[in-house]
Amino acid sequence: MHIGTGLVCSQKMGDMVDAGFDFTIFLADWHSMINNKFGGDMEKIRRAGEYFKHCFTALGIPEDKVRYVWASELAGRTEYWERVLRVGRATTAQRVMRALPIMGREMKAQDTEAASLFYPCMQAADIFQMRLDVACAGIDQRKAHVLAREVGEKLRWGKPVCLHTPLLPGLAGFGNASESFDEDPKVSRVIAAKMSKSKPESSILIHDEPGVIGEKLRKAYCPPGVVEGNPVLEYFRILVFAGSHGFVFRRDAKYGGDLEVASYGGLERLYVAGKVHPQDLKANMGRFLSERLAPVREYFGKRREVLEGMRGLEAG
Amino acid sequence: MELEKRLELVSRGTVEIIQRSELRELLAGKKPRGYWGFECSGKQASACPD
Repeated sequence: MHIGTGLVCSQKMGDMVDAGFDFTIFLADWHSMINNKFGGDMEKIRRAGEYFKHCFTALGIPEDKVRYVWASELAGRTEYWERVLRVGRATTAQRVMRALPIMGREMKAQDTEAASLFYPCMQAADIFQMRLDVACAGIDQRKAHVLAREVGEKLRWGKPVCLHTPLLPGLAGFGNASESFDEDPKVSRVIAAKMSKSKPESSILIHDEPGVIGEKLRKAYCPPGVVEGNPVLEYFRILVFAGSHGFVFRRDAKYGGDLEVASYGGLERLYVAGKVHPQDLKANMGRFLSERLAPVREYFGKRREVLEGMRGLEAG
Repeated sequence: MELEKRLELVSRGTVEIIQRSELRELLAGKKPRGYWGFECSGKQASACPD
């Protein structure tokens, strides 16, 4: 699991539980099959879902604080498929195509598997079938959620509140920021960031050892004084300063000693002014992540068979 | 926990909420139900194709 899913999602799910939500973690096995995960092998997809439960538990979401629901539990009922079809009847193929998660501009109807058209309809049906009030996801899912709100209103099933979190970019940076992948600039940036994440050394996993985290950060794109498209600064904004606390940068006395920064805005100003250097950002992000992920390393250290099983799935 | 504090907790670190006023109403009522859906993949792990 990437830290994007691991840290951003688990933090928000923890917030929801603490705020008094009855919270469901939905393991979308059927959706994964549509998206050709593990070549569409349902047995492997379900084992990966079990691995996800371990990951969220290790990240501080205990199994007794949330419900886990598999898509196959919903799919076992005729009523669910009736909902999927009613959603499909309440919209058009064009709208559904546009709600497909990150297709980019090149994606054309003739290149898209017909099964993909079920995906956004199922996403909407899931929300209504489970009688949910709030749907959470990364910002890349906004079109699917807006579709769910539209059909929900049309069918008088109610409109879910949609809550969207930022996506962590890959460490190689955003690529060419002026390149457009979508008419919505927000979605375009997300696609650019996701594309950069396809290089394995460019993203950190929740079970990476501190040395591996440090090495990945060492290679990260982080030009001095530059904010635009700087993934390491973005990690500070999203992972460190999302709450209301400040952060103490540890530095050698000869480079000015420790430095307490109260907010992300403050960090950005110091970085642009050259008072915080790329090396300070990288070393401190490495320390932050290593500490934050220590419980995950400990959890999987006691359950080596889970990770080994997962690696076996990926290899085969 | 009071309503404003719960609203702040749920909202912090988000890019957008559609709509914040509806979220406030929900939090004022009975225990609200929320979810996050995940595709089950290996290292790649978000609800969208990689």
